[in-house]
Amino acid sequence: MTRQMRTERLASEDEASALLADGMTIAIGEPAPMAMVRAMIRRGLRDLTVIASGLHLDMLIAAGCVRKTISYYAGGGFGVAVAPAFRRAAERGDIEVWECEEGILTSGLEAAAKGLPFLPWRGGVGTSLPEVNPDLKIMRDPLRGETLIAVPAIRPDVALLHAARADVYGNVVHCGGPGWLDLFLQRAAQRSIVQVEKIIPNEAVRADPWATTIARADVVVRMPYGAHPYYSRGHYVQDSALLQDYVRAAEQDGAALAHFLNRYCREPISHGDYLELIGIKRLLALYEY
Amino acid sequence: MALDCSISELLACFLARDLNDGEELQVGIALPIPEAAVRLAHLMHGPNMELIFLGARMNVHHLDRVPLPAFGWDNRVVRWSESFSDRGHRFDQVKDWHKRVFFIGGIQVDPFGNTNLIGVGQDFKRLKFRGPGSVGTPTLTTHVGRYYIVLNSHTPRLFVPKCDFVSTVGWGQGGADARTRLGLPGGGPKYCVTPLCIMDFSEDEKRLRLRSLHPGVQLEEVLRQTGFPLIVPDVIPTTELPSPEALQVLRERVDWVGALR
Repeated sequence: MTRQMRTERLASEDEASALLADGMTIAIGEPAPMAMVRAMIRRGLRDLTVIASGLHLDMLIAAGCVRKTISYYAGGGFGVAVAPAFRRAAERGDIEVWECEEGILTSGLEAAAKGLPFLPWRGGVGTSLPEVNPDLKIMRDPLRGETLIAVPAIRPDVALLHAARADVYGNVVHCGGPGWLDLFLQRAAQRSIVQVEKIIPNEAVRADPWATTIARADVVVRMPYGAHPYYSRGHYVQDSALLQDYVRAAEQDGAALAHFLNRYCREPISHGDYLELIGIKRLLALYEY
Repeated sequence: MALDCSISELLACFLARDLNDGEELQVGIALPIPEAAVRLAHLMHGPNMELIFLGARMNVHHLDRVPLPAFGWDNRVVRWSESFSDRGHRFDQVKDWHKRVFFIGGIQVDPFGNTNLIGVGQDFKRLKFRGPGSVGTPTLTTHVGRYYIVLNSHTPRLFVPKCDFVSTVGWGQGGADARTRLGLPGGGPKYCVTPLCIMDFSEDEKRLRLRSLHPGVQLEEVLRQTGFPLIVPDVIPTTELPSPEALQVLRERVDWVGALR
């Protein structure tokens, strides 16, 4: 009898990217898995519903990938109060904004994870959120009669995350803790794709099971420096200069923005090509310690 | 009266004085004045304060200089934290938030301290100005013991009779029971501070009321720059100036990069 082998969950960049399709609801963690985000832009995915905040959300909008955003915060940073492409697209009505806030978002994600149609939440009572987002229903708590908001389950097709390490079976170990939404996104999503700095042996996972932060990532992709220009805890700090370049280009819109997206997202045909473009000196200068 | 500090420094010192030892002080992103204020209070009189910045909970009273982040997100903040709420649920212990103090900004503020981070315009689908969004402010302001509205400008565009959209409820439609009527357990906004003045809320109506004018600011200017009638007391004090010691600690141990100068 041939011995059966446990299935590995390791995928190449292209294999992982091929799991993403037009029209999906894609949740993006923190730090953003930028290698996968760039692959989405390179492939020209369309009509996505994106759960994200930050400049990667802005890049996806600028690249025309987004139809709808589940949004609690789209600040720009670098002297810009609102992410530029998000702001333009929202003001023009080019994207639909599913307005929420952190407590409402996590309630919706937890409802999905727990298989519930909704969870109640108090934050947002008395605000305009239920008016501008009709999916949020004002409800009367059947036990004490309090006014609460019923937050419908938010079910991403895919959670896209970045972490420090994983083994080939999808046991993920973060360094310095996962980004604030990551575990919610992973629990709520149909499938999770986690890009990591390093693949570690299964023995290393079993040596310290409490360190495992995500137990069953469906797909693991090895992407060293994969969060660049964001940080990856324990590995490198944020490349603020490049993020600032993006913000300036996004403010200008037009040719400047197209140039940025072409240069950094579309022209490098793989993560390796992107890292060559950035250059080893610049990457090494971001060493965290 | 000559002011030997910037308005931002004046506000940071004012807010710091209002914070008490033992409190949990949570500051969100892009609020340099509160960020400086909580650090200053921590060093000056708050050995048991806990500073919470984007999920990282720290007590750094023993340090000569309070660490990063300097007014922006830097993941190295976790190095100084004793725990990191993001490991679990940021909103796990909402029931205990009466001990917590919070700070918010806004793109519109109404006479009852309701604020707006969503956008400006009549039609949500075609906003004239799309704001950044509410972050976690609706949940935080619902529950925290008290919070402060901290603004970088004071104009009629900011202080409006009615917010186009409300992202945080201050005193709702007004009245001392405004929040209990809505079932909001937190204590609501205490002060609204701007580059011109400090405002509080009247006890009965919970309407914005002038509390003090910053040195050199005229009442007429405040009234002209506020897009609704402000309650004005008979005697208007001048905003308390920073003590020399506070200013020194602020400049040498908190804001040594001079972001507030």
